[in-house]
Amino acid sequence: MQPPAELVHWMFATGFLLLGLCLLAQALVGEDVWRQRPWRAYVWPGLAFLMGVLMWPVMVFYTNSTIHMVAHGSWAQVMMLAGGAELGLVRGKLKNSYWRLTMPLAFLVSGTALLIHEQNGWLFARAAFLHHLIGWLMITGAIFPLVSVFRPRSAVWRSGFALTFVVLGVLLYCDRDVAPVFGHLSSQAGTPHR
Amino acid sequence: MRRRLLVTLCYLVGAALAFPALASAHATLTRTEPAFAQRLARSPTVVELRFDQSVKALPNAITVYSAAGKVVSGKARPGTDRRIVTVPVRHLERGGYTVRWRAVSADSHVISGVFTFGVRHRAPPATEAFGSSGPTTSEHVVRWLYFLALALVAGGLGFRLLVVRGPLTPKAERRFYHVVGLGAFGVIEVGILAFLLRAEDALQLPFGSFLYGDLSPLATTRFGTAFVAMTLGFALVSAFLFLAWLTDRTVLLWPAFLLALGFASGLSLSGHSAVDSGSSWLSELADWAHLAAASLWVGGLVQLAFVVWPLAPELRRGAFLRFSRLATVLIAVLLSAGIYLSVLRLPRVSDLWSAGYGQVLLVKLGLVSLALLWGAAHHFLVRPALERGARLFAGLPRSLAGESAVGMAILLAAAVLVESKPPPRPTTAPPVALNSRP
Repeated sequence: MQPPAELVHWMFATGFLLLGLCLLAQALVGEDVWRQRPWRAYVWPGLAFLMGVLMWPVMVFYTNSTIHMVAHGSWAQVMMLAGGAELGLVRGKLKNSYWRLTMPLAFLVSGTALLIHEQNGWLFARAAFLHHLIGWLMITGAIFPLVSVFRPRSAVWRSGFALTFVVLGVLLYCDRDVAPVFGHLSSQAGTPHR
Repeated sequence: MRRRLLVTLCYLVGAALAFPALASAHATLTRTEPAFAQRLARSPTVVELRFDQSVKALPNAITVYSAAGKVVSGKARPGTDRRIVTVPVRHLERGGYTVRWRAVSADSHVISGVFTFGVRHRAPPATEAFGSSGPTTSEHVVRWLYFLALALVAGGLGFRLLVVRGPLTPKAERRFYHVVGLGAFGVIEVGILAFLLRAEDALQLPFGSFLYGDLSPLATTRFGTAFVAMTLGFALVSAFLFLAWLTDRTVLLWPAFLLALGFASGLSLSGHSAVDSGSSWLSELADWAHLAAASLWVGGLVQLAFVVWPLAPELRRGAFLRFSRLATVLIAVLLSAGIYLSVLRLPRVSDLWSAGYGQVLLVKLGLVSLALLWGAAHHFLVRPALERGARLFAGLPRSLAGESAVGMAILLAAAVLVESKPPPRPTTAPPVALNSRP
């Protein structure tokens, strides 16, 4: 009944990649050019909000452990919050630009949830490696949206923000349970399987 | 300088693309024999668990308990396929059985779970597995918060669409969204908390192990299915609510309102009215109507007392009169559904004072009577005066707040009632056959 977990990861990888590419395009051409078509301003925040909504089915259907359920729930909420805040700012419903702090908050919460959810070391197994990598990517990557709040016109920070999403998408695409690479980094990780 | 930084960042992305990592999760239980909640025609000889990865089986990896708590299984052993763990069981008599299991995943995490099956008998739900202690005070409080949140969102939306109808002042509109948004957020968060509390009770694990506990058997129970449906439903409610706020389109509140009312039925389809003896589609419908009317009433009162009254003075009179008319209908639905359900669950009048369920119901009836008197005072004293064009009473906002506080207390009694077990229905003894010798 349930699709394999990696298919869901790939679906979200596609979303993050699109999101990152939109942000990258916006950073490269500049805000004025990007917003020559008014609808473009809504694309990436709308996508982030939609991905948050779509994370709820993942949360309720993948109940093979409590910590997975709670982590997916926290990602759903922070994505909806950050996407929603940006939509509110773009639409003019929110006036205070500090609402953009919801994005670094989303990064921090997501990264922390990933690291708490993984209790083994980096080189224990392939799962551990990727969880640590994405967790730290999100936590360190939070600096980009954080600085962008205070320096909104800086192409460097905005590009870093965009590329964090691109890298996140790529890492999620790499989630292939059946691939032999990095299968067992530690002999303590059990006998090879699958 | 900036250009160089951008180029460096592009190289970093390229490197990430060139050296992809891989991921997998902890071992997951993919199949069991007997299956979750399966009713078997005869006793099984073994209980078998199959995982998606190899696991290490400890001697006490699987323990099977009878309904009385007697261990009926032997030592667990791994299969030739390291993904399978089995345990032999004695010949099992007719009854319900609980399987508690633990295994060490390949990544060294201990994963655990519980499920049930029945032999010539209905399997108990996983939430009632042997060892679980039943609802606690925390669960009563959580259930109450859930009802409050539901009232804020469904009642608030109902008030906005059926009573206010037209535009609100900007300040009132903002507070309306704050209150209803808080309700939608509360339904989702408190729903997750309620599910986890029930799961913790069923799994009976220390917190550290509970984090890796398998919740899938619980998700297949009526309670779990309701949790899944309601979480998804209220995520959609939140999305519609947000879009209505963002685009200033009140019409988007309609799908949010209808979804909130519709998905509230999850509680009725998984509670006493759905599973106890004597339950039918009619009892489920009555339960839903009771819940929906109570939510609309309490949520509407909150909107009237804390949104319209302080922030939209020009709408006070009209809103009060329209809400008064709506409340009459709601009270009628609330009472008729409530009386029907009380008769269904308490077949003897003496159950009201002799059974715990009946005693809680008495407390609830006392509170309902108080709220009805309060509402009647508003309906028969304040409303005619307002219709005549008299001045608004200075103490009316406090009175409305008091009535909504009583409504919230009723919801607390309802939360305790939902978690309590109604007394068993009397069974008619089968006629005794007379031994007649030929």
